[in-house]
Amino acid sequence: MLQMFHADCDGPIISTYHAAMLNLLSVSSVMFECISFPHIRRDFLFKFLVIGSAGSGKSCLLHQFIENKFKQDSNHTIGVEFGSRVVNVGGKTVKLQIWDTAGQERFRSVTRSYYRGAAGALLVYDITSRETYNALTNWLTDARTLASPNIAIILCGNKKDLDADREVTFLEASRFAQENELMFLETSALTGENVEEAFLKCARTILGKIESGELDPERMGSGIQYGDASLRQLRQPRGSAAQTKQQCNC
Amino acid sequence: MERAMEHLNVQLNRLTRSLRRARTVELPEDSETAVYTLMPMVMADQHRSVSELLLNSKFDVNYAFGRVKRSLLHIAANCGSVECLVLLLKRGANPNYQDISGCTPLHLAARNGQKKCMGRLLEFNADVNICNNEGLTAIHWLAVNGRTELLHDLVQHVSNVDVEDAMGQTALHVACQNGHKTTVLCLLDSGADINRPNVSGATPLYFACSHGQRDTAQILLLRGAKYLPDKNGVTPLDLCVQGGYGETCEILIQHHSRLFQTLIQMTQNEDMKENMLRQVLEYVSQQGDSNYQRILTSLAEVATTNGHKLLSLSSNFEVQTKSFLRIIRIFCHVFCLGPSSPNNGNDMGYNGNKTPRNQVFKPLELLWHSLDEWLVLISTELDKECKDINVSSSGNDITSLLLKKQEADNSVLSETPPLLLDAEGVMKTPEGYTDGQDVVSMIANRLSAVIQAFYMCCSCQMPHGMTSPRFIEFLCKHDEVLKCFVTRNPKIIFNHFHFLVECPELMSRFMHIIKGQPFKDRCEWFYEHLLAGQPDSDMVHRPVNENDILLVHRDALFRSSCEVVSKSSNEKLKQGIAVRFHGEEGMGQGVVREWFDILSNEIINPDYALFTQSADGTTFQPNSNSSVNPDHLNYFRFAGQILGLALYHRQLVNIYFTRSFYKHILGIPVSYQDVSSIDPEYAKNLQWILDNDISDLGLELSFSVETDVFGTMEEVPLKPGGTAIQVTQHNKEEYVQLVTELKMTRAIQPQINAFLQGFHTFILPSLIQLFDEYELELLLSGMPEIDVMDWKRNTEYTSGYDMQEPVIQWFWEVVENLTQEERVLLLQFVTGSSRVPHGGFAFLMGGSGLQKFTIAAVPYTSNILPTSSTCINMLKLPEYPCKDVLRDRLLVALHCGSYGYTMA
Repeated sequence: MLQMFHADCDGPIISTYHAAMLNLLSVSSVMFECISFPHIRRDFLFKFLVIGSAGSGKSCLLHQFIENKFKQDSNHTIGVEFGSRVVNVGGKTVKLQIWDTAGQERFRSVTRSYYRGAAGALLVYDITSRETYNALTNWLTDARTLASPNIAIILCGNKKDLDADREVTFLEASRFAQENELMFLETSALTGENVEEAFLKCARTILGKIESGELDPERMGSGIQYGDASLRQLRQPRGSAAQTKQQCNC
Repeated sequence: MERAMEHLNVQLNRLTRSLRRARTVELPEDSETAVYTLMPMVMADQHRSVSELLLNSKFDVNYAFGRVKRSLLHIAANCGSVECLVLLLKRGANPNYQDISGCTPLHLAARNGQKKCMGRLLEFNADVNICNNEGLTAIHWLAVNGRTELLHDLVQHVSNVDVEDAMGQTALHVACQNGHKTTVLCLLDSGADINRPNVSGATPLYFACSHGQRDTAQILLLRGAKYLPDKNGVTPLDLCVQGGYGETCEILIQHHSRLFQTLIQMTQNEDMKENMLRQVLEYVSQQGDSNYQRILTSLAEVATTNGHKLLSLSSNFEVQTKSFLRIIRIFCHVFCLGPSSPNNGNDMGYNGNKTPRNQVFKPLELLWHSLDEWLVLISTELDKECKDINVSSSGNDITSLLLKKQEADNSVLSETPPLLLDAEGVMKTPEGYTDGQDVVSMIANRLSAVIQAFYMCCSCQMPHGMTSPRFIEFLCKHDEVLKCFVTRNPKIIFNHFHFLVECPELMSRFMHIIKGQPFKDRCEWFYEHLLAGQPDSDMVHRPVNENDILLVHRDALFRSSCEVVSKSSNEKLKQGIAVRFHGEEGMGQGVVREWFDILSNEIINPDYALFTQSADGTTFQPNSNSSVNPDHLNYFRFAGQILGLALYHRQLVNIYFTRSFYKHILGIPVSYQDVSSIDPEYAKNLQWILDNDISDLGLELSFSVETDVFGTMEEVPLKPGGTAIQVTQHNKEEYVQLVTELKMTRAIQPQINAFLQGFHTFILPSLIQLFDEYELELLLSGMPEIDVMDWKRNTEYTSGYDMQEPVIQWFWEVVENLTQEERVLLLQFVTGSSRVPHGGFAFLMGGSGLQKFTIAAVPYTSNILPTSSTCINMLKLPEYPCKDVLRDRLLVALHCGSYGYTMA
């Protein structure tokens, strides 16, 4: 189409060139209307769970973490809710995909179906409620059997702001955490104290495990996915030969 | 004297030369005239003539003329007139003269690829770096057209190979965009900046991707081009996907493996066009087994996450459903294509028989597990609700939420009504879903969308047309919950339970609910499914292939149409019909309409003996004696095809069938009342048997009838051993049914079968079941126009009414104000048919011959509704006290009572 012979010397010579460029412009103008992906390099995606008895403040913790404010008049969660946030951990950009589960017993079978493939979990109890603390063993067993034995769990004693009504001491809980190889923090979804830290600590642990080779992000159900930015150099992937071939051009 | 002679000789000489050459031999003095004399010679490269003319003239070779102010040198360069070009240059033409748009002769020569001209211009010191008004240089022009050889020669003279046009585009940009591989290489070898952004930040790679120039992109990436978005954040990958350029995408992914995940994640982006994205993933998945596995596994993972998000009540239902189902659709599509090595689907494997290929569904199992648990949970809650009506609502279960729903929703359903009373429990609820959100209904929609996805994933692993046993098992397991969902919100069926249409066994479970939905909704659903299998159904106008046009002869319409339709493939006919009458120009929708119209009249043409007119004179049904035409079954199949095709393309036909024949199309059993359309007297007799006790009448009927078969009377049993079974008061209903079937169905069974065979090639039997026989008539033949004046003229009055009665005046006033649809209902209510006979109301037929529309008076009692006797076309209209009451009662009767008979 661009090879037209212009014998008519009065003809607009620019037309052929423009025809070619206009074509491109129309494509681009469509593109400009699209919301494209933000060009933040994302290294990993971790799947997180928030578990624990009803009323221990799981949804409020998540809300505080994502929105940076306290969730007023929170209801019981129906089933499982979803939230996500991109954080920076040790120089890596990690997207946390967080599943906030209902604590009520009747939802137990539904919430359990979300456990598989979680890389990390916040195990939450209410420091003002002995009952929620006593239930921890059950939650922990569930998480370790259903999610993955390698799951990184942080124990969160929530409602730290209500110290006056405390029924579980810090010492007692930290001993429990130690015995069960959990990280431990006391948090307050109301003031925001330690909330961010709890999520980040858990993410940091997972990242450490990946770097040390204890966790293999390539394995299905690890709860970890590579993000946009390739970090595959970090470890030699154990994928199939064909997959390796795919990746070596980068 | 001599001088005068000489002068004459010169003039004569000039004249002969001029005449011999058929042109002037002397350039006019006026430059404008001169230049137009020279121009055609330059264009034709007649350099001798030009040279001769220029020789003794004072013409300025740089004279600029015309609208764009070009010199003759421009013309020579543009047309490739090398000799003239050289001549002009020698005579002092300026090689760098710019026209009104800033173009030099070199630009024009470059644009048109005039190699020799370019060479000569360069010899005469033409400047290669001059930009025209838009910033374009000669190398831009060469790059646009991919004239590598010329570029190669020129580029050595270029001071800056990255010279930008007004848009900041370099020659490399335009070469990449147009995919000229060698040109790109040449420019790169000459030191062009491979990552140069234009004003909007677009790099050469970006340009290559925007036009899907795979090889060019490959070259750029191999030469180390960076992967950069433009200033709006649009990346090369975005562009490839937008354009559906699978090959280019694959190249990008090969070089930047991280883009693989980005590509997969794009399925979540609602701005990406699904068909383009699908096209790309389709291509990439076909590049080897591992790509196939990897794409599907990743898609399954993304789908699972999105499915779970959909089950989170806080997510936006519409957005999340759309996104989730889109991913599932793409996933299933890619899965069905199979890996690149052709496997004949033998490894598809049902449950249990796990093959590596089915492994890709594994990530989704998590979602199906959650779905299952949700449904179990809801079923438990519903059970609990039914059991402990009074205990309920410690506030810790869904019951309380259900209760709220029912309070708000007055249309309480049979499954759960007693709970309404338990308002106390609700008040106690400490949970405080005070916003009254209907949680179960919210989750019901979400779960239904996941069920839809589950069905899609199950069935894409099955051979076509089979329903997955796993899905059937699933449906049976959750039968009650699902029924509860759809009773609460029937829209769910239309929105998500598409599996019903593909699986008639499942459809029957929900049929009563579906049938209860408005006709309009069912129509939409019907067409949605009818067209669902069509590729690119969003493309309305597709060019018609000349070979696909149905060429028919007007004077032999039936036979020629039959011929062309049987020759075309059903798939093509589904995509669209184009008809042209032999010897006529016309084409398009109007012609198609006309074709259907004439053809449907031809189908019932008595000459073909295919259909016979029924007793009422307006409707038709297959002729039991059609076999006089030896090809009759082929023609019935053709008629079925035409009707199916018409319905498929929403064309109306000009045929009205008998009730019973519509029932045959729908697969509904006929009833004895349908007999009246072929034999009204006999129908009355059947009616009589049913209405009266026949025990002591001594009818001596057996389960058999005598029929005339080729001139001899034969006893045909209605059922095995029927001749020996007496008809009694006890079994008379069975007898009537069997004898009806014999008359209505068995007599024309081959014809019906052939017709349906044709019809079902376009319309699935399970789909058409959505409608009843009245609706089918509307779908096929449309709403008839009813002329109220004609109706009024041909109406009789009896039992005390006459034209002047106020009630009658009101009646006609009401009828005039009815909608066309309501008038049809009224007609159907009184006559049993929605049709006005050919010729108008004067030809309205009753049970025995012409029977005009009649209105009879009935004494008024409060709340009494009008009734009718369809066999004598009589409306029994109570003597209503005022017009408003009349209208009110009439409308109630029409909307509730027009279907279904209350035999009087």
